[in-house]
Amino acid sequence: MVKLSGHSNWPEWIYVAVVIALMCWVGAEAWNAERLVEHVPEGAEIIIVTGQQWFWTFEHEDGTKEIGELHVEVGKAYKFEIHSKDVNHSFNIHDYVVLMDAIPGRINTVWFAPTDVGTHDIQCREYCGLIHYNMRGTLYVEEPST
Amino acid sequence: MNGIIVLFLALAVLVIVPAVDLAFAAGDEPAEYVDRRVIIWNLFFRLMTVAFVVGAVVSGTIIWQVWRFRESHPKAKPTPYEGTDW
Repeated sequence: MVKLSGHSNWPEWIYVAVVIALMCWVGAEAWNAERLVEHVPEGAEIIIVTGQQWFWTFEHEDGTKEIGELHVEVGKAYKFEIHSKDVNHSFNIHDYVVLMDAIPGRINTVWFAPTDVGTHDIQCREYCGLIHYNMRGTLYVEEPST
Repeated sequence: MNGIIVLFLALAVLVIVPAVDLAFAAGDEPAEYVDRRVIIWNLFFRLMTVAFVVGAVVSGTIIWQVWRFRESHPKAKPTPYEGTDW
């Protein structure tokens, strides 16, 4: 390559190589985390989550329905199928890093497996109207029944 | 010529990335019970470490350059653009 600047430009090439290497590494790390997190285990119980202004409803596989609260068991995997009846919402269990948009006309999925008994907040994370701030629920993680 | 190389490079990336994505995507075998909190927060902290290190190196380099190549630096030399009667 013809050098017009009259000085060595190898530091620039090293800089470019380092940036590309870092971007590849960051991309690979993120990609791998996403791959692990999105892979639903076999036998995960499906819970249908419906968001609407301004509350959450949950339907278990056995037909049990809950409004504003969700009861699950420690050590089991749950797959949420997230619907919306009106506007965009976002289903969030902050303590378990569960976050997925609820979009009218779409079914988005996310899964988790609770590890400890306790109660956690469920909230809407997408501004959805006047009472968005109070579109909350409670997650009860309980001991296994069997 | 360079434009064509860049174009083909971009097209290659556009084809290769989804192909690799498909090849390594999670298959049908049952997954383990991963703790998404651990995976996601670990990723976050690792990437924040990368971001801060890169930020420190880049800003450090800029600060050093500004300090080293100021006109009043004892070793400063005039460039042809600035004339030779320094």
